[in-house]
Amino acid sequence: MPGTRLRRILAELSDGDGAWPAARLCEVCPRIAGVNGAGVMLMSGDVPRGSLCTSDDVSHLIEDLQYTLGEGPCVDAYLQDTVVSEPDLADSDAPRWFAFTPPALQAGVRAVFGFPLRVGTVRLGALNLYRNQPGPLGADQHADALVLADLTARWVLETQAGAPDGVVAKDLEIGADFHFAVHNAAGIVSVQEDISVTEALIRLRAFAYSQDRLVGDVAQDIITRRLRLG
Amino acid sequence: MPREADVVRALVEMADTLVEDYDVVDLLTGLTDRCVSLLGVSAAGVMLASPAGGLGLVASSSEAMRLLELFELQAEEGPCLDAFHTGERVEQENLQAGSGRWPLFAATAVEAGFQSALALPLRLREVTLGALNLLSASHDQIEEADVIVARAFADLAALSILQHRASTESQRLNEQLSAALTSRIVIEQAKGVISERVGIGMAEAFSRMRNYARFNNLRLTDVARGAVEGTLDPNTWTPPSRL
Repeated sequence: MPGTRLRRILAELSDGDGAWPAARLCEVCPRIAGVNGAGVMLMSGDVPRGSLCTSDDVSHLIEDLQYTLGEGPCVDAYLQDTVVSEPDLADSDAPRWFAFTPPALQAGVRAVFGFPLRVGTVRLGALNLYRNQPGPLGADQHADALVLADLTARWVLETQAGAPDGVVAKDLEIGADFHFAVHNAAGIVSVQEDISVTEALIRLRAFAYSQDRLVGDVAQDIITRRLRLG
Repeated sequence: MPREADVVRALVEMADTLVEDYDVVDLLTGLTDRCVSLLGVSAAGVMLASPAGGLGLVASSSEAMRLLELFELQAEEGPCLDAFHTGERVEQENLQAGSGRWPLFAATAVEAGFQSALALPLRLREVTLGALNLLSASHDQIEEADVIVARAFADLAALSILQHRASTESQRLNEQLSAALTSRIVIEQAKGVISERVGIGMAEAFSRMRNYARFNNLRLTDVARGAVEGTLDPNTWTPPSRL
């Protein structure tokens, strides 16, 4: 019966009083879609801006890797505006994502899926699901994930609608990680190296990649002056 | 009734125009043209309510119709206004100058060569967006089948207008969210810049930036941008030493 799936998922999301903050979304998502973890990534201008929520350390790492490397299931789902499915990260000599795949596998991730977040023609980012066993999503799980992505996208816009102009809605910031430390570090590096912050961000990412580290960790070292680029 | 295929084609063509970025005025002008070519009416026009609530003329099948509808808006009486305000169909009425429900409107309409009028609301459930005016040059009753077709056109138009508005609103919210995030990010970058220039921590850098913005009556985001782009004097962040 049409609508049954939507009603069931809404009931699971609802916190009793009808509200469901982002943290609850990522907490409930894996159970509904039958995966090990979930994350919601916001994107704009074709680059990741940050995570609204992640369900566990591994999904947080999946988002951080994509933020550092600029590639991965969410980035592709957003850029190609289509569902991205990689049922076995280990099953290829030429991985789809050269930089993303090895550290993801190392963290125990075997399958990743990206579902675009969109409302009509407006694209917001992607819902990220992972499993530590290989295999595609079942038809039911896939359908559930589509509904979850749709609800999430609408929820983001509806939540932002309540915020004053120029301000990120409070409910979107709770549990979110917009990598502010990376931008602090970019400001520091721009002064140290006498370059623009845009260039400083590129240098930070390149350095992190070359050292097999996350850009957020490198940023912490810059802020505490334990590390200086250049 | 050989017209059935034409009606279906018209509905399909209208649906085809509902691609991304379609123009509402184009859609509604096409609607008025189809009403004239497919239904037994002489002229058609569409009025839409502005967000503030006032009706405005959006599309007409002819210049005579355009002038008549402008008059209807000025005179504040006529079938289109009634259909909009009641949200219900306004039954066909034979027009006689100076009498009936709309004495002023009727006089002008008869002068323009029209003999009867009816109107349908552009409505989706409880929301009335505007109205469709149908004018005929004869007293002949417009066939009910034709009214049903006009109703289908009007419903499709109402649905597409609402979708168009929702999509515009989503676009606006997404841009607002993105701009808000960018502001936050520029502030974080400025904290890093000031922290390094002055040799202070992030919290102190933020508080200097905020004080500067307050003291000079500037927006924090603009001060932050100035710090990041280097358009503000770097000495700004070093408070005068207390002797």
